[in-house]
Amino acid sequence: MTHTIEKIKTQRIKVSEKLVYVLETKKLNIYYDDFRAISEVNMKIERNKVTAIIGPSGCGKSTLLRSFNRMNELVQGSRISGEVLFHGQNLYAPDVDPVEVRHRIGMVFQKPNPFPKSIYENIAWGARVHGFKGNMDELVEYSLRQAALWEEVKDILDHSGLALSGGQQQRLCIARALAVQPEVILMDEPASALDPISTLHIEDLIRELSNHYTILIVTHNMQQAARVSDFTAFFNMNGDRSGYLVEYDNTNQLFTMPKNKLTEDYITGRFG
Amino acid sequence: MNGPSIQKPEIEFTDNIRDRNRYGRLWVYIFRFSTIIGIIALATLLFNIINQSSGYVVYEAKGDPAALTLDGVPIEEQTKDQLMRVLSSHLSKGAYSKLDRTKPFAERSRNDVYDLVVERIVKYEVVDSWLLWDSLTRKDEITAAVEEEYPEALLRFDVWINSDFLRRPQSSNPVIAGVRTAVLGSLWTIGITILFAFPLGVMAAIYLTEYAGDSWANRIIQTNINNLAGVPSIIYGILGLAIFVRALEPLTSGTLFGVTDPTSANGRTILSAGLTLGLLVLPLIIINAQEAIRAVPNSLRHAGYGLGATKWQTVWSHVLPNAIPGILTGTILAISRAIGETAPLVVIGASTVIYFDPEGPFSKFTTLPIQIYQWTSRPQDEFRFLAAAAILVLLALLLTLNAVAVLLRNRYSRRY
Amino acid sequence: MDDKSKETPVLRKTFENELQQLKDEILLLGSMVEQSILESVEALKKRDIPAAERILELDKKVNAKRYAIENQVMIVIATQQPMAHDLRLLASIMEINGELERMGDYAKGIATINIRMGEQALLKPLIDIPRMAQKGVDMLHRALTAFINEDVEAARLIPAEDDEVDALYNQVYRELITLIIQDPTSIERANWLLWAAHNLERVADRVTNICERTIFIATGKIKDIRSSDDEAQKLKNSP
Repeated sequence: MTHTIEKIKTQRIKVSEKLVYVLETKKLNIYYDDFRAISEVNMKIERNKVTAIIGPSGCGKSTLLRSFNRMNELVQGSRISGEVLFHGQNLYAPDVDPVEVRHRIGMVFQKPNPFPKSIYENIAWGARVHGFKGNMDELVEYSLRQAALWEEVKDILDHSGLALSGGQQQRLCIARALAVQPEVILMDEPASALDPISTLHIEDLIRELSNHYTILIVTHNMQQAARVSDFTAFFNMNGDRSGYLVEYDNTNQLFTMPKNKLTEDYITGRFG
Repeated sequence: MNGPSIQKPEIEFTDNIRDRNRYGRLWVYIFRFSTIIGIIALATLLFNIINQSSGYVVYEAKGDPAALTLDGVPIEEQTKDQLMRVLSSHLSKGAYSKLDRTKPFAERSRNDVYDLVVERIVKYEVVDSWLLWDSLTRKDEITAAVEEEYPEALLRFDVWINSDFLRRPQSSNPVIAGVRTAVLGSLWTIGITILFAFPLGVMAAIYLTEYAGDSWANRIIQTNINNLAGVPSIIYGILGLAIFVRALEPLTSGTLFGVTDPTSANGRTILSAGLTLGLLVLPLIIINAQEAIRAVPNSLRHAGYGLGATKWQTVWSHVLPNAIPGILTGTILAISRAIGETAPLVVIGASTVIYFDPEGPFSKFTTLPIQIYQWTSRPQDEFRFLAAAAILVLLALLLTLNAVAVLLRNRYSRRY
Repeated sequence: MDDKSKETPVLRKTFENELQQLKDEILLLGSMVEQSILESVEALKKRDIPAAERILELDKKVNAKRYAIENQVMIVIATQQPMAHDLRLLASIMEINGELERMGDYAKGIATINIRMGEQALLKPLIDIPRMAQKGVDMLHRALTAFINEDVEAARLIPAEDDEVDALYNQVYRELITLIIQDPTSIERANWLLWAAHNLERVADRVTNICERTIFIATGKIKDIRSSDDEAQKLKNSP
């Protein structure tokens, strides 16, 4: 589309081409005050793949997801131990600015949360915040096209983002996240507030985006994880143990022949 | 396989739907009753004020207006020159030139001169007056009584609140007393209050809600602000007296800026009053702004942070625009309270009787509530009518301020 | 889930019931097939044409049952979104369902041979062929029991017994070839019996497939337990 954007993209890919794993956690523990929400998680996230995180409510999967772009810091009393590596660089090192982290690792939330501004502004704001100097119209169109929303909104760019349907709003939020050119997109149950058709739209989009982005998705919906992801991580917790990684495998493998009994019980719906 | 079967216990319900409905209706009656009481109170208040703000008035002139007819023209229709001739012929030379010194006749309008004639020569005085209700219902009785008791007098249906009332300054004669000084004083004071308290309050609210952590010190500050909102206003008056009138006198009197003559200056100025009222409404503005800022959904903040925006960028672009309607509403409430305050201004020394307009923040002043208070304490009935009229002016001022704020709020919240 | 009770509550009762029902249906289908194999051989032995015709009727019921089960599996998959073990179980039921139906077809084949033979007498009294039938049915029965119980050990052992059936088949084959050499005019009658024996040999092969499925359900691994019968494949020209 625009030269600038293409250049940014190719540069980015070159940077990361050497590494198959974009993100990696090492002995990651996340605490809320005295409560340990995530314990000793070691996992590697592969580049340009969709990795799904599943598990029962309260197993800390959202917490884990938010730790990848330091959004969990916004919760008072949260702290971590261990490392989250992004291209081998610890995101929690003292000299790393969370603002930069969130620029490179974008996020899409459970409830569509477009800004109460125009569709155009929704996309443009993030880019402007980061000092974007190119052609804004092109960036807006490119982002909306990537999010498969362009055809639906190209004539109403000045309408409020809130006037769109739920599914469109969520795609707008995805386009908004794409506009700042992240490498990784974190999605926290992106379709849980949507109707089935919109959900399928989003799922298609996720698959499409995985050609260019590394995507991490938290979902309650196992079928969704099975449909969209290349890798699936199953988290569990119980009375004595907070959120821990039970099984992490190729999605096809995990949903047909899980190695762990707990995973089997969870995905077959016999979780006791 | 399906677990132990459950024994169904004896379950019986009483048929109480009618009772429940009756109980519900009872409460509805109570609620309706409370609302009606409120409406009655409000209606009584309005009736009372309006009742006093117009009605029949009997005037008696000390001088005979007919005697002032010049060239066959009654004074009501005379030109400015003719009126000036009337004045000069009926007043002593000294009194006439004193008037000229206060304000040269060349600069006075025809109506000003006419007012002077009425005030100095005709000297209308109110001898009797009736309330609006009586004036409407007992018109004949009143006319008869007036004809019998004051055959010379002029009976007129007067609306106390009229353009003259708004235009004229304070006077000791109720016939020509107006509310202009007080309105200007109120506007100046409130202007300074807004300029002082609004930015300060909003900024403090942003800091407290968005930036300040949940520390021990911050919690104490928060508690104090909440408590300050409930402190009686007279205490703010004492505070204002100590700080603005006394301690900061060079500033509030204007001597620091060389605006006023140091010999006659004191700190009992509009600036002191505005700042005192500002202090009074600051906690209210802070609390309301905090509420408005907190009411902005967190999802918007997260959306901002998630894009890699800094806290300030997020607050400025998303939190504030969405909180503005709420902040404005809170500010209106606070300002409405300030505009009706009397006690702190009395303490810091607002003048109760003042005959000239305030000219700037360093002027002596009076405000509408003080004017009303002063008029109601006069023995003559007419001043009470003036007070009622002034109350209507105050209400109108409040409504105007509120309307402006509502317009502003709608403008902001309609953006998307 | 909040409650840390020791016993795991049975979740998805409806689903469990549906799976159980499907297993029962498979057992029922299995016993119908067992019956038709045994009876078809018995009818051949006795040259009982009406009995053979009853087998053809029975096969229609087997086919109907097979389609009913298939349909039910589809419904369960569509409504319950099975995963992992459940999915393997349902896929296996589908597979075993087909295997049983094919076995039923073999019995039907033997009955058809019986009818086609018409007035011709048996070339020789049947001894090994009923044994093959007995053995095959026995294997089938145990394979289905292992399937129902998900008994991997038993499922692993059964396919080895296919050798016995193969040995019996080879014996029948040699015997009939000898008879043909002695009397080339008996070739047609010998061929009838050869086909019947071959059908029974295929029954045992398909039992092996059922056992493979049972192991797959439990382990998720699908592999040929015995890569059998390429030559049998060539001979597969049964009616």
